Amino acid sequence: MSGQHEAAGELSFTRVFDAPRELVFRCMTEPEHLTHFWGPAGTSAPVEHIHVDPRPGGVFETIMVNDADGSEYPTRATYVEVAEPERLVWAEAHSGMTVTATFTDLGGGRTEVHIHQTNVPGPFLRPEAQAGFTTSLDRFAAHLAQLTARDTR
Amino acid sequence: MELDATFTALADPTRRAIVARLARGDATVNELAQPFDLTLPGISKHLKVLERCGLISRSRHAQFRPCHLERAALDAAAEWIETYRRIWGERFDRLDTHLREIQAGQRQAEEGQ
Repeated sequence: MSGQHEAAGELSFTRVFDAPRELVFRCMTEPEHLTHFWGPAGTSAPVEHIHVDPRPGGVFETIMVNDADGSEYPTRATYVEVAEPERLVWAEAHSGMTVTATFTDLGGGRTEVHIHQTNVPGPFLRPEAQAGFTTSLDRFAAHLAQLTARDTR
Repeated sequence: MELDATFTALADPTRRAIVARLARGDATVNELAQPFDLTLPGISKHLKVLERCGLISRSRHAQFRPCHLERAALDAAAEWIETYRRIWGERFDRLDTHLREIQAGQRQAEEGQ
């Protein structure tokens, strides 16, 4: 798998889920699943506004609604590549960014999802910005530790 | 939107290089033109784009009008990246919860059979 190294103008996020790869992939491509998690904290993603046509050239459209004031943040993207259950690539119309989601089967019912965003202008990835990745990974490690602690209780 | 203009301006590799050069200190148009093998009108065009979105400023009065990087504009863009990272983090927290819930539901259904 490529994409583990960071080049200028790219952003990466990785998360491991305690779920089989097919299920995680379905969650990322089916509106009835996406509606549960696509909106970050403080927002929701109503299922009636999620349009997914997972094939090259197909649409991937969502609207995130702010829970507090109802303001809407629509995102329109087009799938570039759909390789179930390994990889999804979509291009966002408004930002010009391409997002690649890679799903790796870690065995034992665990799946790693790697998000890779390209076309992010290089100067934004200054040392200070890159330091944020370490923080993010630290948070991720803390999150995993919490989950593990909860599971073994 | 100003941030959109900033990202558009920085989509060009020459303009990114100009910004990188100015991060090390102010420079005149002549100094900026040299390493890029560009004509003065060519470099001026790029500088105008950067100036319009507020990434650089130029002294109106000094004889050589040195270009100056406006770090606040770059910081705003960096903040945007931070926002994106936060969105993925929160999104995946929720996906984690969702996956646990549906799998717990599946296990219950299997045990009920």
